[in-house]
Amino acid sequence: MTMSAEPGIVWLASFLKSGNTWFRIFLANLAAGERGPVDINNLDERVNIASSRHEFEAATMLDSGLLSDDDIDDLRARVYQCAAGNAGDLRWVKVHDAYTYTAAGEPLLGRDTARAAVYLVRDPRDVAVSLAHHLNTTIDAAIKLMNAADGALGQRGKGLASQLRQKLLGWSGHVTSWLDQTDVAVHMVRYEDLRADPAAGFGAALRFAQMPATAAEIDRAIRHADFAELQRQESEKGFAERTSRTAPFFRSGRAGGWREVLTAEQAAAIEECHGPLMNRLGYPTDARSNCYVPATALNGAH
Amino acid sequence: MPNYRICGLSVSSELTLPGAVPLALPAGDADVAVRYGRVPEALPQPSASGPTWQMEGETLLLRVPRLARFLIAMGRDITVELEPGATEHDASAFVLGTSFGILLHQRGALVLHGAAVAKDGRAIAICGVSGAGKSTLAAALCRDGLEFVTDDLCVVGLDAQGRPIVYPDGRQLKLWRESIDRLDLAAAQGQPVRATFEKYFIEPSTSAATAPHLTAIYILREAGPTLKEGIESLTLPDAIRRLDYEAYRPGLRAKIGQKPQMLAQAATLLGHTKMFQLVRPVDFKILATTVTALRAHWDSL
Repeated sequence: MTMSAEPGIVWLASFLKSGNTWFRIFLANLAAGERGPVDINNLDERVNIASSRHEFEAATMLDSGLLSDDDIDDLRARVYQCAAGNAGDLRWVKVHDAYTYTAAGEPLLGRDTARAAVYLVRDPRDVAVSLAHHLNTTIDAAIKLMNAADGALGQRGKGLASQLRQKLLGWSGHVTSWLDQTDVAVHMVRYEDLRADPAAGFGAALRFAQMPATAAEIDRAIRHADFAELQRQESEKGFAERTSRTAPFFRSGRAGGWREVLTAEQAAAIEECHGPLMNRLGYPTDARSNCYVPATALNGAH
Repeated sequence: MPNYRICGLSVSSELTLPGAVPLALPAGDADVAVRYGRVPEALPQPSASGPTWQMEGETLLLRVPRLARFLIAMGRDITVELEPGATEHDASAFVLGTSFGILLHQRGALVLHGAAVAKDGRAIAICGVSGAGKSTLAAALCRDGLEFVTDDLCVVGLDAQGRPIVYPDGRQLKLWRESIDRLDLAAAQGQPVRATFEKYFIEPSTSAATAPHLTAIYILREAGPTLKEGIESLTLPDAIRRLDYEAYRPGLRAKIGQKPQMLAQAATLLGHTKMFQLVRPVDFKILATTVTALRAHWDSL
C-alpha cells in the first residue's frame, strides 16, 4: 500500500460512541496488513486525538492549566496549522469536538489543515445507550448531554481532565456543525451502513480521503477489526480505552439495540430534540419503524 | 529589584514573582536576569518554530496571546513585554513555568516535569502528565512529614561524587482548589497562580534546605482496564524512554541540539536512581493509602 503524496490531516470526526474507535482499529489493521489482527491495546496508530492535553502542551510548551478554555481554543487552531505543515503524509486524527470557530473567527481545527473529513454518525437513540455506559451515568443524564446545545466534555472543574475542553453542542449541533461547514470537504458515513456493508463503507471513506487500498487489503482489515475479534481481545486482556466500570467497551455494536433499553419517554426525549435531523439522516422518528432508510435513498444529507 | 532562588539558580527580576522565595543577593551577581523590555513579534531567521514559539540559536521567543511575549536567551536572560491590558501577575506565571523551563534546558539541565519530596537528605521525584496528581500527592506526602523540594520543574544535577541530586525549587507548591480543600490546606493557601484561576500557591510546612540525593523516580498513572494498581519497576529501555517522555516539554532539548547530553545524563541518572510506575485510581479517598504504599516502597529500596 502506498501513501498519497499530498500532505495533510484527515479528521476522523464524530459525536461520542458513533464508531470512531472501530474505524481507528480498522485503520490500524489496514496499516498492519498481514501482520494483523493488531493488539487493540497497542494500535501503533498514526491517529491521535485532537483534544489531547499532553500533545497541546508539548506543541505550545505552555501549561494548559494556566490558560482559559477559550485561550486554549484560540491556540488549538495554530497547533493544527503547525502540525499540518510538519506532516509528511496522510494522517488520520480523531476528533470529538464539534466544528466551531474561535472568537477571532478562525476554525478551531485551523484553516487549510486537512485534506478531508470523514464524519461518522449513528442513530442518537443507540448513542444514548452506549454513552450512558461510557460515562458511567444514567441514560437520562446521557440524553441530557446529547440534548444540551451548549454541552461540552472535559470542562474545567476543580482539576484537569486528560483531554482539553471539547464543545459538543448537543447531538444535532455536533452533526450539523460538521456537515454544514464549508472549510473542509466532508464525507458522512452512517455507522449502521458501515456495519451492514463494511467493505463499501470503509472503501468509500478511504477513496474520499485519497488513501489508496486494494479491495483485498480492505477486506483483510475488516476481518481483523471484526467485532468478535475485538470482543475476544477485550475479554482476554481488557481494553485501555474502556471507561465504563461495568460494561465492556465492545458491547454488541448492534444497530437498533435501543428498542430493548430505552423507555418510550427516553426515546421521545431524543426524538423531540433531534427529530428533524434524524429524519434528514434516515433515522425515522416513528419508533414502530424497524428499518433504516438506505443511504442511497437519502437526498441532501451528503 | 527583588531577587529569588529558583531551581538552584539565583534570579534577579524586575517582575514580582509570586510563589517564588525571595533571596538576599548583592546586585549584579545573579545567574539569571528577568527584565521588562522590547520583545519582537518574530525572530528574523528561526531554525525551528511551533504554534507559540520560535527558536534561533540560543534564543527562544515565546508568545502567549493577549498576555505577553517572552524572549529567553543564552540560559541567562528572560525579557518580558506585556500585551496591552495584561497584568504582571498573569505574566509571572509564565515566567516561573514555561520560560524558566526553557531557560534551564538552554543551560543543558536535566529537567523533569514533576514534583519532589525528601527526607534525611534523600529525595523522590513524582512525574506524570498534567492532571496526573503530582502536586496533590507531593502535598499529601509533605503533610505526612516529608520535606518539600520542588513542584512542576524538577531539576536534576550531580554532586561532587557524581550522584544525582534535586535542586530545591524556591517556588511554592501549586494546588487546585479541590486538592486544597481535600487536604485541609486552606490555612497555607497563598495567592492564585494566575488571577481568576482556581489554582493557588501553598506555603509548604517544611522545605528541604540543601539539594537531596534523588533515589527514585515514580511515574504516576491512573489505574484502568489494562493497568493494574501497584508499584512496578521499569526495565532500563522503558526507563530511558519514559525519562524522555517525562522531561519538561519533551522534544525541546532535541531541537536545541542536546540529544547527546540527554542520553549521557539519562545513563548517569539511571545508574543511581531507580524508576517505577505507580498505578492507582485517581480518587482523593485513597490518597492516604497511596501515601502509605509509596513510603513503604521507598523505605524498602
